[in-house]
Amino acid sequence: MAVVTKAEAPPPPKPGRRRLLYRLQVMRHDPTAALGLILVVVLGYLVVAPLVAVLSDAARLQYGDEIHAGQRPGEWTGYYLWRVFRSQISGLLFWEPLLNTLVVAVGTTLFALVVGGGMAWLVTRTNVPGRKWLAGALVVPYMLPSWTFSLAWLTLFKNERAAGQVGILQSVGVRTPDWLAYGPLPIIVTLGLHYYPFVLLLVGNALRRIDAQLEDSARILGAPRRTVVRRIVIPLMLPALSSAVLLVIGRVLGTFGTPYVLGLPSDYRVLSTGLFQSIRDRSTGVASVIAMVIVAIGVLIVLTDTRMMREHRRFVTVGGKGAMDRLSDLRRLRWPAFALGVVVFVVSVLVPVLTLLLSTVTRTPLDLSTFTLDYWFAESLPGAVGFPHGVFRGSELWAAAWNSLRIVGLASIVCAVLGLLIGYVVVRGTAPRVAAFLRQVSFLPYLIPGIAFAAASLSLFAVARGPIPALYGTTFLLILVMAVTHLPYSSRSGIAAMTQLGREPEEAAQIAGASWWQRMRRIVFPIQKGALVTGIILPFVSGLKELSIVIMLTTTGTQLLTTLSIGLVDYGYTQLANAVVLVIALVSFTMTYLTQRLTKSSLASGLGG
Amino acid sequence: MPDITLRGIAKSYGGDDYAVKNLDLVVPDGAFMCLLGPSGCGKTTTLRMIAGLEQPTAGTIAVGDRVLDSVEHGRYVPPEKRGMGLVFQNYALWPHLSIRENVEFGLRMRKVPGPERRARAEEALRMVHVDAAMDRYPSQLSGGQQQRVALARMLAINPEVLLLDEPLSNLDAQLRLEMRAELKRIHEESGATIVFVTHDQLEALTMATDIAVMRSGELQQLAAPMAMYDRPANRFVAEFVGSPPMAIVDVGPEPGGLAGSLLRHVAARADCAPAAVGVRPEALRFGPPPAGAWHEEATVEAVLPAGSSWTVRLRVLDTDLYAVSYTPVEAAPGDTITCWTERMHLFDADGARIAAWDEAGVAA
Repeated sequence: MAVVTKAEAPPPPKPGRRRLLYRLQVMRHDPTAALGLILVVVLGYLVVAPLVAVLSDAARLQYGDEIHAGQRPGEWTGYYLWRVFRSQISGLLFWEPLLNTLVVAVGTTLFALVVGGGMAWLVTRTNVPGRKWLAGALVVPYMLPSWTFSLAWLTLFKNERAAGQVGILQSVGVRTPDWLAYGPLPIIVTLGLHYYPFVLLLVGNALRRIDAQLEDSARILGAPRRTVVRRIVIPLMLPALSSAVLLVIGRVLGTFGTPYVLGLPSDYRVLSTGLFQSIRDRSTGVASVIAMVIVAIGVLIVLTDTRMMREHRRFVTVGGKGAMDRLSDLRRLRWPAFALGVVVFVVSVLVPVLTLLLSTVTRTPLDLSTFTLDYWFAESLPGAVGFPHGVFRGSELWAAAWNSLRIVGLASIVCAVLGLLIGYVVVRGTAPRVAAFLRQVSFLPYLIPGIAFAAASLSLFAVARGPIPALYGTTFLLILVMAVTHLPYSSRSGIAAMTQLGREPEEAAQIAGASWWQRMRRIVFPIQKGALVTGIILPFVSGLKELSIVIMLTTTGTQLLTTLSIGLVDYGYTQLANAVVLVIALVSFTMTYLTQRLTKSSLASGLGG
Repeated sequence: MPDITLRGIAKSYGGDDYAVKNLDLVVPDGAFMCLLGPSGCGKTTTLRMIAGLEQPTAGTIAVGDRVLDSVEHGRYVPPEKRGMGLVFQNYALWPHLSIRENVEFGLRMRKVPGPERRARAEEALRMVHVDAAMDRYPSQLSGGQQQRVALARMLAINPEVLLLDEPLSNLDAQLRLEMRAELKRIHEESGATIVFVTHDQLEALTMATDIAVMRSGELQQLAAPMAMYDRPANRFVAEFVGSPPMAIVDVGPEPGGLAGSLLRHVAARADCAPAAVGVRPEALRFGPPPAGAWHEEATVEAVLPAGSSWTVRLRVLDTDLYAVSYTPVEAAPGDTITCWTERMHLFDADGARIAAWDEAGVAA
């Protein structure tokens, strides 16, 4: 028979120490806590430490600046702040690039908004012919590296001002003025062509999810169609629109390739290329200040976005039945609308790709009598000293491809495993503070444009610190930085996957007698196999076309496909650069396409480049 | 096989909020013990602490002489070494393993050789009648089948202690009835000590050999089902166990109406001053009262037939009461009938039960 026994107080001799002993016993059998601590240290070192290092670099005098600043190296100084913000060259160093960045960001956003928003409406809310095809085709520009477009632009419009072969227009006798060939206009157009799919996806998703009943109600109450759009649809779209705007601005802020290719010939500098220049010039202090400014703007943008999203959550528009498929009948405008969609596709995909392709198979632009496959296959190319053969010859392309594959692949694996482990600790762990730290810090790189984060990592890892040797120029550093910059996505999906799984399946295995390793090996990782594969593929696809992050970290020994192509641009070998970027575009497009088919993941929720 | 002993068990998730407060409990060997209480009362936490999935902030958990947790002596045995079985509320079958592999998993961990492993898994699955679905995957089974597989998975390792966390709550009514009988049979066949968590008092009454009622992390009463039903330790248990619940009337400073009527009846026969008086619905009868029974005129407000029983809502003086009758009730709403009872439960000002008063006078 059951009885309630009153505890006859057992003598607890040293309660404090015994309790600790108990906790240690528990920890010994459950490595989650230890794993959590390891992850805290790793993330602290990889994410937080670079930011601290860049702050310290900005505020302490660097070697070589003693004479200008009148201080000793290592001393605290306001010299770099002064130099960047107030000195005579601050206009050149900072204010002008800042202004240019703003111009480019606003211009690109408007461009992307008009094209992307219009196309989104067309493919989600109208009966335009070939909707499905358009919806897929119009996203393609986002699968190509963003500076593909800038190389195509140069191939079309370049004049004699910059090194290398002139563009197609110039060669047939049309003079292209500098403002058309280089600077803000081409940068805005080419970036806009790359980023409009981003707006299309975000706005299209929102349009699709608006409950048609909301519109119907307004119609029944007597509102004419125009009023419905103005008073109902557009207000409901505001969250998606503001989100798209802020994210495009954030991306443009950190983008490097396009402003580098199109801005440099006319000395048009934005913050990212200015940062790159400062690092090239070894002015670490100035570079650190600029990096901090970029970080600050990036943080501001994302915080504004989260803030606005939170406010907008008051009206959730996730529709039930009756959502979608209430299409406007375009009537006579159906085919013109379709033609417009096709034009956008042609301009944003076919023209750039064909231009690049054509340029690589002719010696003189547009002159088919000079058709040649030399730029692809020739054993030797006279005149190209730095790259004296077709791209498929020699070892450069293959070495760069192998580097890309190896480095991006390893980074993706590291990233996915880290993400899953973070998810495991966050869901499984018993220390709420550790979970909160991991959740927030792993998301931190999202706030920071890649190029600024690369600069910060350079601050930390360029020199030996304590037991860690200088990592500059090593593949190891590239892998680390790439993995960390993609961590926000992988940790989010890791946390989501683990939350969805819950802790019970693992606990059931524990009850059944499985040790921690057995549980990981037989239960947790096998169940999460799908999440792990997605977690590897997505960073891999976006990492392959990544330039902003790697441009500062690669050396001649660690050339990637992307940096190889930019290097060829620097040499003025237009055809070769175009050939390499075509290779990247093809690989990147194929992989993205296959990934979407295989994992059914949506690009909208995916990654940026 | 040994008893499970919980001594001075407390659990807090940081701060002064205790999920379980100083719990002392012995689950006797071979018992079918039910931890019963409303959600948030600490019953699941207690179960998980016995399993080792949560660690107490203070106290000792032992099975026989084997100490599994002792915060004060720094001893801890991890769940995988406790050799217990635990069936989760949502079953927690491993989606990537077939039913057979799910059931064999525990045996594999115990390094049981292949042929024996297969035989024992099949036996466990036969015991719960899902041996036909052995090579399917969990997602291909119905909820009831998954529940049985979760049970078989734990039965296969032949545990001395089997813990069940609301295993019937996700089943439909028909299956639930079936599984109750099934669990009772399995308890008898396997001889395991079972600790079972539920918020359903009917489940507890029908299956358990012992019930522990918990509330806000504290043990309210530990007793055999019918003993608990007949002699609830306090108002909380009295109202929680039984459906419809016991009607409890507070005796104010100037008792009038129904309270006054009940109190006068008790006071005339016993030397005690209860603060509240309770009557179970089925103890309330209709018709001419026997000698010595409390009785009062009542107005019928509604009659709710339920096939085998009739629930009647009555207005007695100033209070609404429910009565349950197992013979047909021939009254219509608005009729006046006489209701009577020979059994009341008396509670003191703190809610503790003083005594039951019945026709024989005041009894324990």
